[in-house]
Amino acid sequence: MVSRAKIKELMNESACSHSKDKKPGAGCDMPKPGMAAGGCAFDGAQISLFPYADAVHLVHGPQTCLGASWETRETLSSYKGRDHTYMGFTTGITLNDVIFGGDKRLEDSLAYIVKHYAPEAIFVYSTCVTAMVGDDIDMTCKLGAAKFSIPIVPVHAPGFVGGKNLGSRLAGEAVLEHLIGTKEPTLTTPYDINLIGDYNVTGDMWQYLPIFEKIGIRVLSSMSGDGRVGDIRTAHRAKLNVIVCAKSLITLCRKMNEQYDIPWVSVSFYGKRDTTFAIMEIVNALGDEKLIAKAKEIIAAEEAKLEEKLLPYRELFAGKKAVLNTGGNKAWSIASGLQDLGIEVVATSIRKSTEDDIAKAREYLGENGILMKAPASEQSKIIDERGAHILLAGGRSLYTAIKKKISFIDVNQEKKVSYGGYNGLLNLAEDLKHAFANPVFANVSAKAPWEVG
Amino acid sequence: MEYEKIELSKHEHKPLQVNPIKHSQPMGAALAFMGIKNCMPLMHASQGCASYTKVFYTRHFNEPIAMYNTSVSDITAILDGGDYSILMAIENITKKNSALKPELIGLHTTGLTETKGDDVRSVGVHVEIPYCYVNTPDYEGGMESGWALCVKALIEQHTLKSTQQKANKLLLLPHVSMQPAEVEKIKECCEGFGFETLCLPDLSTSLDGYLSEGQGKLGTGAISIEDIRDLGDCATLITIGTSMKIAAKALLAKNENIKHLHFNHLMGLQMNDNFVASLIEIRQIQPKPLLKRWRGRLQDAMLDSHFLIGSSTFVITGEPDMCVGMCELLQSVGGTINAVISTTYSKVLEDIKAENVFVGDLEDAQVHFKNADMVISNFHAERILHSQEKHTALLLRGFPNYEELGNQLKNDQLYEGSTYFLFEVANKLREVKHHG
Repeated sequence: MVSRAKIKELMNESACSHSKDKKPGAGCDMPKPGMAAGGCAFDGAQISLFPYADAVHLVHGPQTCLGASWETRETLSSYKGRDHTYMGFTTGITLNDVIFGGDKRLEDSLAYIVKHYAPEAIFVYSTCVTAMVGDDIDMTCKLGAAKFSIPIVPVHAPGFVGGKNLGSRLAGEAVLEHLIGTKEPTLTTPYDINLIGDYNVTGDMWQYLPIFEKIGIRVLSSMSGDGRVGDIRTAHRAKLNVIVCAKSLITLCRKMNEQYDIPWVSVSFYGKRDTTFAIMEIVNALGDEKLIAKAKEIIAAEEAKLEEKLLPYRELFAGKKAVLNTGGNKAWSIASGLQDLGIEVVATSIRKSTEDDIAKAREYLGENGILMKAPASEQSKIIDERGAHILLAGGRSLYTAIKKKISFIDVNQEKKVSYGGYNGLLNLAEDLKHAFANPVFANVSAKAPWEVG
Repeated sequence: MEYEKIELSKHEHKPLQVNPIKHSQPMGAALAFMGIKNCMPLMHASQGCASYTKVFYTRHFNEPIAMYNTSVSDITAILDGGDYSILMAIENITKKNSALKPELIGLHTTGLTETKGDDVRSVGVHVEIPYCYVNTPDYEGGMESGWALCVKALIEQHTLKSTQQKANKLLLLPHVSMQPAEVEKIKECCEGFGFETLCLPDLSTSLDGYLSEGQGKLGTGAISIEDIRDLGDCATLITIGTSMKIAAKALLAKNENIKHLHFNHLMGLQMNDNFVASLIEIRQIQPKPLLKRWRGRLQDAMLDSHFLIGSSTFVITGEPDMCVGMCELLQSVGGTINAVISTTYSKVLEDIKAENVFVGDLEDAQVHFKNADMVISNFHAERILHSQEKHTALLLRGFPNYEELGNQLKNDQLYEGSTYFLFEVANKLREVKHHG
């Protein structure tokens, strides 16, 4: 079961920078009726664990929870067995289960899954309804695990306890409690790391993993992009936790630090500067002189290669100005990528950013950059004043770009290619090139024949 | 191919769903509210239910979606009877955006709020804006029933009783699987017979892929709450899809003199002949020349496509009212339906003549894919078909379709839509049959 004490603890993460400014015990905000737009805790938990392709993810709840969410994320996996990330499993409880309890159904479902799919592990997600009617998911999972001799992990992140971020933390708790430290690795090196919080969306990880390999950094386990359950069980033997672009799993890192004495670094792989910075953070934390020297050498070579490929784009983008309206860490990470391509970012949104994100955004944009608190109402004016050429935002802002006759990229739309690492920057450059060259934005803004004159 | 035969039943044949095709009741209700002018669809749920629904429709229609929620938390789940979260949500949303002037609050529940047993009806007393409530737990029914329950609730709670009738006033009640363009075409057809035609809900101006400013804040359907109030004086009521019969019953309770016509679907020659014959009989006028022309085109398309379709086998998955129409149209040109896998149980499924008809998921459907020349399903079938050795044609229909653009303008209804449907099916079949 999920307890109030645990939720309270997770909402008051001492390692979060914004916790300093709050009254003791105030913690993260609870959702306000009518004002919460994002996903729920279950959503966050599922996102954090779903990339384990060798496990089956069983959602114990009514239809909406899984029916509308399966096969929606491009989290790629190199797993050679049956890839369960493209599949959806739900108990799809009915009225009968609400009245009499859904434990029997869950038990039967576990048996069905083991018989037909023989996964390495099963994650069982509780949801609002099954949490409220009080199904004993812990016991059913425990008995199932003993019977079938595979890990069956209960994940207690019912939607109503909070937002995605909290759900992600709760998923971290489940992994820490049930998986990490339950198996010894066959091999360890002094350069073993755990990757935390990269879900390998569109293959983001694969942009930088080859560089790790060249340097000699070894990924022992991943939570959870292209991850394997067997590997995360050995995560306690890593020398370093690398948390990628995610605040939510900071609790997991802090606890692993307390329990297993593993330090952590927080990095991002968007853009050239961030990628270089990230690699240096990792090798410095690992603290091996030879490794650091090797990293510097590889980085220099990769950067030189990239610079050469970026030259034609830089010429193309010279003098271009962009307005960026997106949430969270993207507010600065995409800005950094754009700047690497020689585009001036005149404004970015900080509406949904944390204190850390805002500080970083200010650092990247400099004194003259505008940090928009209410981008919906501000962006139009800023485009005019600063003479921006492109707006990067969510679909709702498309109309602003058309009215201003400037180019537009939907940054929130599910992208098909990765913008991560050194080579991801080339993908971003290519998308920008097409956006700048496309006459569609000016063309659709033409007046209708009955409006002319 | 060996498989265990699954019978059509209201009861499940296994404890879980693997690769589900069923969608929930709240999602159907939410879509229905989007088809009402200036309606604020408000899902009484934790924030995730609404977020998933919003993303689902945003990706299917490629449109901003108007969708709000009451953000029930673990504390309000226990301590609140619904009043606090619903009233606070309405206040917060309208206060934050004073330009937002909803003319109807469309409140519908979910599994969570039904389990805790909120009295969503009595909350309405405190709401100053017209308010409609629907009980749509997602542990019962499916998208099709959620949509129908919403229409029923709108009529029951808002339509005034009447003894009067306007001779040429017609109300259409389309089932959930109709895309905006289909609704528009059927309306247009009825208007061609001189009917003042209303449609509930009316998505023809709501998710039809139309570029304008300030989208995704309120429903932009073509029927208003005033229109719904005055539906009692209709002379004719047409339901399309068996699921809509419950809503028709609600309207007949408001005025028992309304003439009710029911059609299971509007696909294929026979059903459309019945439909058009009824309209001719009521209005006593001849169809427009173009409608007559389209009938001839459909006849021609049936002959043109019968070679390919007549030698082909089909597996269809989706909402019951959608499946039944496709089956009858394909069978009318000699197609063999191997299996129909439905999202939920509906009586209309009993009438489908096919080797296998049952309620299930894509794990069940997949067994039959090997015997099919064409699979008609939502986008989830695509990856499964890719993993098979045999080349099987795939026609994407039903919710959700994240793979194709322009879903909102797909039209499979009437003489015209049926014609396009047959050509599309035949062309896709030719591709796989001739190129292996």
